[in-house]
Amino acid sequence: MAGWLIALTIGLPWVGALAVLAAGDRRPRAQHALAVGSATAAAAVSLALLRLGSADVAVRIGAGGVFGEFTFVPDGLGVFLAAIAAVVGGLSVLFSVDYMRGEPQLGRYYALVLMFIGAMAGLVLTGSLLLLFLFWEMVAFCSYALIAFHNDDPKAVAGGIKALIITQIGGLGLLAGVVVIYAHHGTTDIATFLTHAGNLPNGMLTLTAYGFLMAAAAKSAQVPFHTWLPDAMEAPTPVSALIHAATMVNAGVYLLARFYPAFAGVPGWTDVVVAVGVASALLAALMALAATDLKRLLAYSTISQLGYMVYAVGAGAVFASQFHLLSHAVYKALLFLGAGAVIHAVGTRDVRQMGGLGTQMPFVGTVFFLGAGALVGVPVLNGFWSKELILETGINNGSWLPVIVLLATSGLTACYAVRVVWLVFFGHATAFRRAYDAPAAMRISLGVLAAGTVSSWLLAGSLGRSLATTLPFHHLEARSLGDIVTEVITAPPTAAALAVTALGLLAWWRRDRLARAGRFARVAALVIENGSEWINTQVVRAAVRAAAAAGATQTGLLNWNMVGIVAGLLALLGIAAMGTLR
Amino acid sequence: MTASPATVLMAAGLGLLGVGLYGLLISRNLIRIVVVLQVLVKAAVLALVAAGSASGRIGLSQSLGVTVIVADTVVAVIALALAVQVQRRFGTLDVRALSSLKG
Repeated sequence: MAGWLIALTIGLPWVGALAVLAAGDRRPRAQHALAVGSATAAAAVSLALLRLGSADVAVRIGAGGVFGEFTFVPDGLGVFLAAIAAVVGGLSVLFSVDYMRGEPQLGRYYALVLMFIGAMAGLVLTGSLLLLFLFWEMVAFCSYALIAFHNDDPKAVAGGIKALIITQIGGLGLLAGVVVIYAHHGTTDIATFLTHAGNLPNGMLTLTAYGFLMAAAAKSAQVPFHTWLPDAMEAPTPVSALIHAATMVNAGVYLLARFYPAFAGVPGWTDVVVAVGVASALLAALMALAATDLKRLLAYSTISQLGYMVYAVGAGAVFASQFHLLSHAVYKALLFLGAGAVIHAVGTRDVRQMGGLGTQMPFVGTVFFLGAGALVGVPVLNGFWSKELILETGINNGSWLPVIVLLATSGLTACYAVRVVWLVFFGHATAFRRAYDAPAAMRISLGVLAAGTVSSWLLAGSLGRSLATTLPFHHLEARSLGDIVTEVITAPPTAAALAVTALGLLAWWRRDRLARAGRFARVAALVIENGSEWINTQVVRAAVRAAAAAGATQTGLLNWNMVGIVAGLLALLGIAAMGTLR
Repeated sequence: MTASPATVLMAAGLGLLGVGLYGLLISRNLIRIVVVLQVLVKAAVLALVAAGSASGRIGLSQSLGVTVIVADTVVAVIALALAVQVQRRFGTLDVRALSSLKG
């Protein structure tokens, strides 16, 4: 049963992708219908799968015994992330019906989005490292192709290439780790690795741990790999909401959480994870304070919130990190789609040119306000519970310093959130007299996500139970929703965080008097940001130049290609011979 | 010492492989390339038969061999069809004319 549901969760979007391509761009109505139908069906199946969580292998595909078996395991972590991917995916596709109406090449757009949804579900559900790597690269490809969707826009193409190269460099770390594990265990089975992780020689385990961390940091846009995410905002907004806020960027956090039991003992690993998370959270919050492009601002805020999750894994709070991942996926998708509705209505992304839209777009204004409240951590909204739980668990498990930095970051978060809400929806009305509120399909997506923002924290208890019962290596403790709520309410960091958040709001209120401090913070952030931006750009440029240089080997002459093939054959024979001689 | 049939077959296969690879490296005419590709595939079929006779699983190796022959026929047909198109478009069968993929 679970096996069928897994196959459908991954397969339905893929079948939908082929169907959309087959329908052809001359029939946009059919394409919209097919895309929404298959994505919604996959979302429904993934929700059904939530109830079937277990640690047992549900799908087993023999692969000739060379790389072991390809397996899919519906454990708590997998089904929960697959459900997020499919549900947010379904809502983004529904939103696209209005957002992408009249765009040319809808087939390419929907096919890539649907391919992404299936690949993301596969990535979190597979129990085989090799398949994990393949799905990892597949989502990277979809992300690249969708960032560069408007391929007549040089900025979009450059953003796509940057995202591709930087996440690929991280992906090398993952590949190195997978190869090491395969070489030592003779299998790519994740459960086998987690059971016998200690059998790896120390140096090899360290290499794997840091390789995986590098892959995770690149995928989740953490310092120092974070600069691709703001540039990825050239993608159509539903793609930003789905891939660059709610799902793919979570893959890094997923990877860290999945392999935490194996790597927690590696010297220094958890400290580095904590440092990466805290640095990303703080730096990105500063950058968000200075950003003027609505989507880039939200991208920085995504990096910052992912920093909280990475920190939580490093501090051993795996459940808190996944809980925050759920909250963040819901409210950030809401914020992005809300921003999409605004951008669609006013035709610019510059917040300085917006203002007073609250009266013209009351529905979008309300849901955006809710999302911003959850981002800030206003009590009762989902972001409040999960963020406080991270801080609370972090204090219990780790040292004070990171928690203090994260508390300060929540003050900054409050400040930039109120700034963006003010600039877009309040203040003087600008020239956009014709701004219209969201059409029907957009409203449905936004409404569902807004409802989720208010209520998704009620799932904390069942999420915790599902993780605790199906992840044998993590030694998690199942706690009821009541326990979690009591713990968050009574914990001292909660009061501190609320106070800091209030300070952040006040700081915006008194922004004129604090202008000098604000300017200093912006300059500091810009210096650090431009430093890492420079490094990232150099890396991208070097990669592009190397690719162009490698073009010299393409002579276009068949005989030279044959020389290459024969040389490769001889090299393989040589390696095989070395193996038999030994 | 007398060589076993499998050894003889294997040696013949290797010989054909060498001939085929050499031919591929030096041929510029597309038809010749299709012909030497055929030689290469026949080397592979011989190796299959040799492996079958060495391991005693003749049936398996013969069925694989037949499969290879069928697949290879398809390859040859398509390659020759492409050669016809090349001749029509470029007016020559010389592979040096086909360098539009030059990097």
